[in-house]
Amino acid sequence: MSQADDAFFHHAAAGEKPPLSLRNVHIMYQSRKGAVNAVRGVDLDLRAGESLSLIGESGSGKTTLGLGVVRLLVKTARVTQGEIIYRRDGLEMDVSQLDARRLREFRWRECSMVFQSALNSFNPVLRIWNQMYDTAKAHGWGDRRAVREHVLNLLRFVQLDAERVIDAYPHELSGGMRQRVLIAMSLLLDPQVLILDEPTTALDILTQRTIIELLRRLKDEQRLTMLFISHDLAIAAELADRIATMYAGKIVEIGSADDIFYRPRHPYTLGLIRAVPKVIGEFEDLVSIPGSPPDLVDLPSGCKFHPRCPFATDRCSREEPDLEQVGKDHAAACWHWQSVAEELADRPLHQSLPTLQTAQSGE
Amino acid sequence: MNMFTQAFASLGTTLRIMSYNKVGFAGFLMVVFIVLMSFIGPYFIPLDTVTKVDKIFQPPSAEHWFGTDHQGRDIFSQIVHGGKDVIVVAVIAGVLSTSIAVAFGTLSGFAGGRTDAFIMAITDVMLTIPQLPLLLILASLMKFENVTSLGVLLGLLNWPSLLRAVRSQALSLKERDFIEAARSLDLGTTHIVFREIVPNMMTYIIISLALAMTGAIYAQVALVLFGLVPFSGSNWGVMLSLAWVRGAIFFKDSIWYIMMPIAAIVLLQLSVVTTTRSLELVFNPRLRSGE
Amino acid sequence: MATTFDATKLPLEAERKPSRAAGFLNSFLLRRLLKALFTAFVVITLTFFLIRLLPSNPIELFIQELMVQYSMPYHQARDQAAALFAIDLEKPLILQYFDYLGGLMRGDLGTSILSPGTPVTSFIKRFLPWTVFSVGLALMISFTSGVILGLLMAYRRESLLDHILTVLASVLSAIPNYILGILLIIWLGVRWGVVPVAQMRGSLSPGVQPGFTLAFFQDALFHAALPIAAYVLTTVGSWMLTMKSSTISVLEEDYVTVARAKGLKESRITTAYVGRNAALPLFTLLAISIGFVVGGSVLIETIFQYQGIGYVLLQAVNRRDYVVMQGVFLIITLSVIFANFFADMLYSWLDPRIKFGATE
Repeated sequence: MSQADDAFFHHAAAGEKPPLSLRNVHIMYQSRKGAVNAVRGVDLDLRAGESLSLIGESGSGKTTLGLGVVRLLVKTARVTQGEIIYRRDGLEMDVSQLDARRLREFRWRECSMVFQSALNSFNPVLRIWNQMYDTAKAHGWGDRRAVREHVLNLLRFVQLDAERVIDAYPHELSGGMRQRVLIAMSLLLDPQVLILDEPTTALDILTQRTIIELLRRLKDEQRLTMLFISHDLAIAAELADRIATMYAGKIVEIGSADDIFYRPRHPYTLGLIRAVPKVIGEFEDLVSIPGSPPDLVDLPSGCKFHPRCPFATDRCSREEPDLEQVGKDHAAACWHWQSVAEELADRPLHQSLPTLQTAQSGE
Repeated sequence: MNMFTQAFASLGTTLRIMSYNKVGFAGFLMVVFIVLMSFIGPYFIPLDTVTKVDKIFQPPSAEHWFGTDHQGRDIFSQIVHGGKDVIVVAVIAGVLSTSIAVAFGTLSGFAGGRTDAFIMAITDVMLTIPQLPLLLILASLMKFENVTSLGVLLGLLNWPSLLRAVRSQALSLKERDFIEAARSLDLGTTHIVFREIVPNMMTYIIISLALAMTGAIYAQVALVLFGLVPFSGSNWGVMLSLAWVRGAIFFKDSIWYIMMPIAAIVLLQLSVVTTTRSLELVFNPRLRSGE
Repeated sequence: MATTFDATKLPLEAERKPSRAAGFLNSFLLRRLLKALFTAFVVITLTFFLIRLLPSNPIELFIQELMVQYSMPYHQARDQAAALFAIDLEKPLILQYFDYLGGLMRGDLGTSILSPGTPVTSFIKRFLPWTVFSVGLALMISFTSGVILGLLMAYRRESLLDHILTVLASVLSAIPNYILGILLIIWLGVRWGVVPVAQMRGSLSPGVQPGFTLAFFQDALFHAALPIAAYVLTTVGSWMLTMKSSTISVLEEDYVTVARAKGLKESRITTAYVGRNAALPLFTLLAISIGFVVGGSVLIETIFQYQGIGYVLLQAVNRRDYVVMQGVFLIITLSVIFANFFADMLYSWLDPRIKFGATE
């Protein structure tokens, strides 16, 4: 492990093959009511150095997909179909086929995860240092002094008082501090890919700000490849290069952040964006998407969104659309994406979203 | 007539709910069986008190279902007659302990402050004192005429651990929303305690009662076995004591004399404990699944 | 970043670690120590008044007996009683109490009625170690087995092994420990002849000298085996079941998932992440267990004729040797109080959340 201080993160060059590719991934799990199709055929490329945000409601399958990449699903869940291709240094492997030992090696070293609730992500009876060293040692790095040096650096990077935090117990740290330690820990083995599941959801507003700043630094300065899973459009606006929206286990639209926010082509995406109220300007009526997410055991026929879709036609209830190109590097799975484009021409969205505005003006 | 049918209907429902937990229901049936056997059985099966020297330590036969004891008396009839004392003491002790534990436990948990501190201080001290040695000493210093006094004594010693459990449950319930709601609706402390808190604690109360009873059975059999309580008659503890003293363990066929009371006692303990699982279902609807 | 309010420069919101001394003063341990001392004091007082205030006052009874048996005049009988009980019956009760306390400080617990000339303390010195040995060993074995089996049951939930062990645990917990002792003797000893119960009676074989020799330890273990078996079999069930449910809830905790995500070895996760956290609630059970097993030792030791302090107590009760009863009861209770405090210390050492200023 090369531990030169400045260059301890992976620098991604343009034109590299994507470090992570999902091909037709299906994940299913057994519940008392029957088989739940949580993920139904997802194709996704996570490009080198980019941060991709996966947006969806609860039940959309986004968390399941994230957990599936590192194969941390519950025992009742399985990847029933598809491949999860991971690439590095010109080599590639299918994560879904790895045996136990190689899976352990893959985890954290190649791809690490920052979980949703930092409050409970640490073992209460071990010090932070021990938990860090455990991780290093499990991957064959037993040099105590070097690991300690590295951990102190990481803790400083996430702007904590390294000396004090490293020997602390988890309960001695606040929620925001724990989230930062978690991020530091995820960087411990210099992974190529970082998956973050709702990294700011459980935090208060001020702490959210600091975490977002930290993640932005990671993205801008270190060019780490990141996959954000969230239901919160704001974090996507701040940090994502590309955004994919997920509905009922499939990706329904994927494109650059600009495309998604200014030129959505899928009715669901449009609904999500319209549902965010304006912070400045006059009072507008709140627009929400009518209906509720589908029952994953008993999905509707055809396009899964059609019962709630204002653009739905007969065809939508019979045939499920695949992703098709709707712009440069922008795809949507809808038979009527052109109608959506026309609708936007008639009734444009807010000229700029409040969150994007402050982010841009702040630079 | 209406009240009867209603009572039967609710009894039927209760039994049906209990039957969802098979083990618990089996335990319940066993308890019912033992109680019936001990209280009604003696009217049908006379106690064999005649000494028959030629029939000492006989193995089970058609005539003597469980064999005979060291004096040639039938064991089966002794078992039938022997449960009454044990059960009565257990019930008296159990009800007394549970009442003390529930009353003071809820009071302590709910009231907080000095009352709580005071009650907990007493409870903690009593908890630390090992129960059996204390019981032995008290037994040697006091006279026990009958089952009731023994039951009362056991009841007075058994409540500390139960009180603790009840109190912690009351503490957790105290902060719950429905209590806040009741308070803000100005429903009064008695109402809150009896209509809101106690029903939620029924599971604990049932379990406490079961534990209190098993504890009482444990203690009273020990006292009788070691000759500290001069009971006469043939309750299971006395049978056990006599069997032990008369060396019933050494003869091949006399094993029945010592094993039968043991089996009866252990069966009673087990049944009481497993019944609580069924009773839990009755009082805590959330535990029911797949109805 | 030119905004006026820069959130990244907020002061770090950590808690300040209190100084070690302040930590101890506020701590869990200190409160437990005080509680232990208070309880000890109450027990000492209680024992004193118990003997004297009960309806059949043993001292008065004893005086009556002396008068009847030896035709002693009252004051002579009373003097003899006073000497034996190590109290002065002339003084008012409250002063007798202080004398009693004073005696305790000096280690004087009185002299046995039935073995005249033998101070109670000598009984204790001779017999207490045996009980400590058997009970201590039994608790350790029971606790460790319970933890390991409970872990196993949780990891293999709903398997055949789990079901068998659960049934076994429930049944074993329902059997009173003295009855299990009897059963062991009947079945293992007499009926199946597996175990030489006759030879295992008593705490030591005749002719074996106490000392730090291997032969001594082997013999002591040989004799303690049956009592220990009785203690272990009747307590392991509740440890197992508690550990199983505790482990099941720990396995659902986020930090276990994170540990797996980090690629840690399953063995490390089981010991340091699951095991240590799941075992913590068992320590609250430990205090009750200690009291229960020590209490049960009175009966178990009698059944197996194992000469420990419990055996002594029962003998004293049966023979109405009140002085010994009082002294031994006191020592037993004080041992339990001390053992509970030791369990508290162990718990606070193992759970870092308890150390400083934590409320219960």
